[in-house]
Amino acid sequence: MLVAEDIRVVLGKAAVLHGITAEAHAGEVTVIVGPNGSGKTTLLRALTGDVGFRGRVRLNGRDCSELQAWELAALRGVLPQASALAFPFTVAEVVRLGLTAAVHADRGDLVARALAAVDMLGFAARLYQELSGGQQARVQLARVLVQVWEPVVDGVPRWLFLDEPVASLDIAHQLDVIGLMRGFAERGGGVVSVLHDLNLTAMVADRVWLMDQGRLTGQGSVTQVLTDEALERAYGCRLRVGCLPPAGGWFALPQAVGGQGT
Amino acid sequence: MVALDCPRLEGGRDHQARLTCCALAVALAVTMLMSLSHGASGVSLWSLTLGDAMPARDRLILWEIRLPRMLTGILVGASLAMAGAVMQGLFRNPLADPGLVGVGAGAGLGAVLAIVLGGMAPLWLGAALGYHLVPVAAFLGGWLSTLLLYRVATRSGRTSVATMLLAGIALGALAGAVTGVLVYIADDRQLRDLTFWGLGSLGGASWPKLMAAGPVMILALVAAPFLARGLNGLALGEAAAHHIGLPVQRVKTVAILTVAAATGAAVAVAGGIGFIGIVVPHLLRLATGPDHRFLLINAGLAGAILLLLADLIARSIIAPAELPIGIVTATLGAPVFLWILLRRRGVVDL
Amino acid sequence: MTGRSLLTVGRFHASLTAILLVASVATSARAEEGPQRVVAAGGSAAEIVYALGQGDRLIARDTTSSYPEAVLALPDVGYVRQLSPENLIAMDPDLILAEHDAGPPETIEILTHAGVPMVTLPQALTPADVLAKIAATAEALGVPEAGAALAEKTSADFDAAAAAAASMPARPRVLFVLSLQGGRILAAGDDTSAAAMIGLAGGVNAVEGLSGYKPLTDEAAIAAAPDVILAMDRGGDLEVEASELVAQPALALTPAGQAGLVIRMDGLYLLGFGPRTGAAALELNAALRAAVEEKG
Repeated sequence: MLVAEDIRVVLGKAAVLHGITAEAHAGEVTVIVGPNGSGKTTLLRALTGDVGFRGRVRLNGRDCSELQAWELAALRGVLPQASALAFPFTVAEVVRLGLTAAVHADRGDLVARALAAVDMLGFAARLYQELSGGQQARVQLARVLVQVWEPVVDGVPRWLFLDEPVASLDIAHQLDVIGLMRGFAERGGGVVSVLHDLNLTAMVADRVWLMDQGRLTGQGSVTQVLTDEALERAYGCRLRVGCLPPAGGWFALPQAVGGQGT
Repeated sequence: MVALDCPRLEGGRDHQARLTCCALAVALAVTMLMSLSHGASGVSLWSLTLGDAMPARDRLILWEIRLPRMLTGILVGASLAMAGAVMQGLFRNPLADPGLVGVGAGAGLGAVLAIVLGGMAPLWLGAALGYHLVPVAAFLGGWLSTLLLYRVATRSGRTSVATMLLAGIALGALAGAVTGVLVYIADDRQLRDLTFWGLGSLGGASWPKLMAAGPVMILALVAAPFLARGLNGLALGEAAAHHIGLPVQRVKTVAILTVAAATGAAVAVAGGIGFIGIVVPHLLRLATGPDHRFLLINAGLAGAILLLLADLIARSIIAPAELPIGIVTATLGAPVFLWILLRRRGVVDL
Repeated sequence: MTGRSLLTVGRFHASLTAILLVASVATSARAEEGPQRVVAAGGSAAEIVYALGQGDRLIARDTTSSYPEAVLALPDVGYVRQLSPENLIAMDPDLILAEHDAGPPETIEILTHAGVPMVTLPQALTPADVLAKIAATAEALGVPEAGAALAEKTSADFDAAAAAAASMPARPRVLFVLSLQGGRILAAGDDTSAAAMIGLAGGVNAVEGLSGYKPLTDEAAIAAAPDVILAMDRGGDLEVEASELVAQPALALTPAGQAGLVIRMDGLYLLGFGPRTGAAALELNAALRAAVEEKG
């Protein structure tokens, strides 16, 4: 279980997070949503220790601030929003960097399997810097995947922290990634991800944290949190949520500004 | 063996890098033999087969001149190239060189101080160091400035590489100004000494110098390859390196100290030899990729080879006089480097 | 700028002196004993060897050795402070005549260790030093008679110069300009061979309180108020044209500039502090005397 207790972040003089308390569970996909500047990414970065914060983050019952880098790396993989690479590594070499944490020394064909999972196996020998943005994002995801390939090790769940993993992907690869997240959770791992797309969120999330102006304004299942009123308040525009009849798929449709709705 | 690990995977260049490593090791051995057996005096290694019948002059030339000079060349070349590779990995920039952490400026200032003001050194100091005053001052200058920059750039246990770079530029300017003052009060002879020091030479190689500076360089050369995984991770950025389980701060600290030790000692014994620290790692990256597990070691080997070859040229081309080695490394290295850059134009390789 | 006259000292005088010297010592039989393969490391070392009539014993010289012309034909072992041990040993010398600042020290150490005979000549900034240098060289070459003759001749030159200097009606202020790069004056202060030379010739160094060769501000140049400007006429990059000197704005305002009194002499001859120095001092004295008289 991931527990965040009273997370506060001040950047410069501006308070960005005003005391967030929330939890996420292994075996579930938890998605952080909210408008631009609401503090989604900052919250994720606080959870992963990439930004200074007050409060406490516990992962599987252990305080993250007391764990060494290698202990954390064995417990979780973190995908940042953008990843610039310094030198001309090949795709295979980049993914292999995910194996750095000593927990599983060289695990055979893990690199190849991770690349296959993000549909990049054919690019293994290409230079990372020659790829498109979306392809680079998939390679980075593969790198994070090899780090925590087994969602549960010795009964202890492992975690994926993803910041906008589908941001630059086409629709087919967005669905691939959504599928990877679900698969990881269903095999017992924990996933915490920032997503922009409410419909993808509804498709993948077991639990949603809705952020607004540095505060957590909703926490719970998709249907509990993503309501017309909550979304209108957070995003400041009119949205209509509903269910597609056959499979019960949830959707959110934007309504024209100033329109009269139905 | 990579081939067994990932039967379906291409894109690993380990095999290539290992082959390159072996080839470089063989080339270094050959270069070492060349360095030992060539010289103006015509003494060859066959002289060794004479055993006790070996003329005293030959023995002296081989043992007191060529051997310490060759060993110094190997250590200095390897140190400069490997320190360059470490620096570039740390700053995530293929143009970084050890000058960025203040070693160059500090060592230069130390050397200038010793050359110009050496005569004013307290008697006991002069007596203790003798003509080793310049190398010792260069080494201390390099170290002190590195430690200073490191302190400036480190806040609550985290070293900002960008701050260090900026502070290094400021320190370089300051050192330049102080050097200017010293140049002003220097006499003609000291000015020529300064110029020659800046161009580098292995001409002053001797056992006592090697005994003093060699262990420092060897320590750095042994330590550097342990940074390989850390530098590979840093290529992803500091945050990502932390998340794949690397002790980022320790990597940075060790990298900076290693570079300061290697460069400080190398500059102290051989003066300012430019170019090797940038060109050698760059060429190897083009050949076998940026994986530091191989890059660091290969850079060390290639740097040693390059410096030995440059020294062979430096001491024979205008014999009986000797060319400063920095001139050779730059005049031979720069055109080759340009040619390779032109040939590879359009390929993203930064 | 009427009545402007440039006093340039002809070099023929210097050459003549050297030829006479060589002739005077050439009669002394060449010593068949003593070192036959000599390397000169330092300009004055080679000059003295030739002046002793022993030039044919030299097998190599350093970059700073450029007088007499014959020395330039010898192999160059590099800058006097950057000598290469193996390359020197390879020449198989039986004597290295080194000036006091030959180096680097590591090379000297190895050469000593290798048993290569080496004689280090004393530094010279006074007539007595020059004589000591000549004596040391002659002894190392095993030609004491030639040494005594050369010392006598040199000493006589110095005496003549000293007498001439003492009989000067007034001691003119002399500004030695080493270079005039970009209009900036690089002048000789105290503790320079130029200042020593000016003293020997009966002048006063116009720049006081500075040590070594230092850039001079325009105001300091005016304050120095030189009666005569001295420069080198074969200083390579440092060669300064007389017309440039008197055209320099600050120098133009000095007594020397207004009267156009510029003396130019060969650099090594003027500043070398070797066997020719007495003659050079005498020559400079004559030029100073003429300048002072012209100024009236």
